[in-house]
Amino acid sequence: MKTSEDFAHYYETDIKPDLMLLEEKRLHIKKKLMPLIFLCAALLIVSLGLVAYFHISIQWMMIPLLICAVVIGGWYMTFYRQFLSQFKEQVIQKIVRFVDPGLTYAQTGCVPKSLFTESRLFQDRADRYEGDDLVSGTIGKTEIQFSEINAKHVETTGREQGTGSQKKRKTETYPIFKGLFFVADFNKDFSHTTIVLPDKAEKLFGRIGQKLQGLNRSKGELIQLEDPEFEKLFVVYGEDQIAARYVLSTSLMQRIADFRKRVGQDLFLSFVASKLFVAIPYAKALFEPSLFKTLVDIENIKAYFQDLQLAVGIVEDLNLNTRIWKKEPPKEEAK
Amino acid sequence: MVGIAIAIAVVLVLLVLLFNSLVSKKNRVLNAFAGIDVLLKKRNDLIPNLIASVKQYMQHEQGVLTRITEIRTRALEGGLSDDAKVEIDNEMVGALRGLMVAVENYPQLKANENFLQLQAALNEVEEQISAARRNYNATVLEYNNALEMIPTNMIAAMMQYRTKMFFEATEKERAVVDVKSGFES
Repeated sequence: MKTSEDFAHYYETDIKPDLMLLEEKRLHIKKKLMPLIFLCAALLIVSLGLVAYFHISIQWMMIPLLICAVVIGGWYMTFYRQFLSQFKEQVIQKIVRFVDPGLTYAQTGCVPKSLFTESRLFQDRADRYEGDDLVSGTIGKTEIQFSEINAKHVETTGREQGTGSQKKRKTETYPIFKGLFFVADFNKDFSHTTIVLPDKAEKLFGRIGQKLQGLNRSKGELIQLEDPEFEKLFVVYGEDQIAARYVLSTSLMQRIADFRKRVGQDLFLSFVASKLFVAIPYAKALFEPSLFKTLVDIENIKAYFQDLQLAVGIVEDLNLNTRIWKKEPPKEEAK
Repeated sequence: MVGIAIAIAVVLVLLVLLFNSLVSKKNRVLNAFAGIDVLLKKRNDLIPNLIASVKQYMQHEQGVLTRITEIRTRALEGGLSDDAKVEIDNEMVGALRGLMVAVENYPQLKANENFLQLQAALNEVEEQISAARRNYNATVLEYNNALEMIPTNMIAAMMQYRTKMFFEATEKERAVVDVKSGFES
């Protein structure tokens, strides 16, 4: 595992020269944005003034708003997107290779939707599914891939509105998951599904909460495990009591609890068909620099390194490279 | 009059529910033990292959191999009590562990593909047995809790249910991980 000191050294020698160039670019496009923002602000204030002075309907404000949206949108499409893509291609690519040479990075790729569905972590159907920043490869003996994922569920509700060809149903979009989605090939073979979710009920209601969890059978039977620390953090459902305990050995429970504390965030894990899925909710977008902060600052860049280390570290933290239980070495994926 | 009848009916229904929950808990313990039994059988099925693959390499360990075969034969006898099964399992664990330590002295064997596969299969089944034991303990915990908590404890007393023992690591197994005494001796 690479340390922060290793990274600091790598930063100075390999990343900084690229950052200098990108920093120039950042300042350049920021300079382009500033007058646009003033222009838009001025336009909006003047229009608002006109609306108030001539007692025009407020609906006319739509026009200046639309103009502003087009202007800022145009700036985003022509300048910012290109800057972002260049940043990821040069800087993130390098950091990924630094973390482990066995990894590859694809800025527009993401973990396929089929795997997201297979994980059975989220019950709602993912109608809108997108993501980027796919990292994949092999760490030791374990194949992994992870990316940022944003999945949403679209629900059509209510009665049809309007008549004839204007018939329309109201649709609402609910977020399912946004954050880092990680898939690894697990070091034990199994066919039964086991799902580990953050424990809400037990934390709030104690033993009664535990009883309530037992009633929720949609994810399988409630599995009560003997590690009190783990039980406090997670609730486990599974298709088979023994298979769940086979997967969640005493040491793995300890490791998951430790990892949960290190991440300091809710964790969703599932074990399906000899694969491990981990979902870590993130509010911010991964690997996207702020336009208003300098790039040439090791602290800002180190955050990307740490995000990557955290995901790649799952292999080590959960001891996935110990492969004494598998009959065969991991198969190469057919390409 | 009607009130009394309703009260009696409610009490009866409650009694039936409590009785049934106790029976189901008891059966889950039996079922969990059967789960261990299945896996013990799975391990016993692996042993002839294991012996066959190591025999030609391990000329000097015939004693260990004979002992494993002998324990396996005993395990396959019918009509064993649960306690006897546990006892035989413990012996088997000790003997297999002895074999795996002895394997360290045979580099040729350690490189044998067939043996490595068997070793992985054995590791897998050992891990599954350990999972099944933990499952058994979880059901026993629930059963014992029901036997000692109000109100099920009264019905359990009427049915003459007794608390069950947990599966615990035997003295021998504990001794294996006792590294300190190994250094002292």
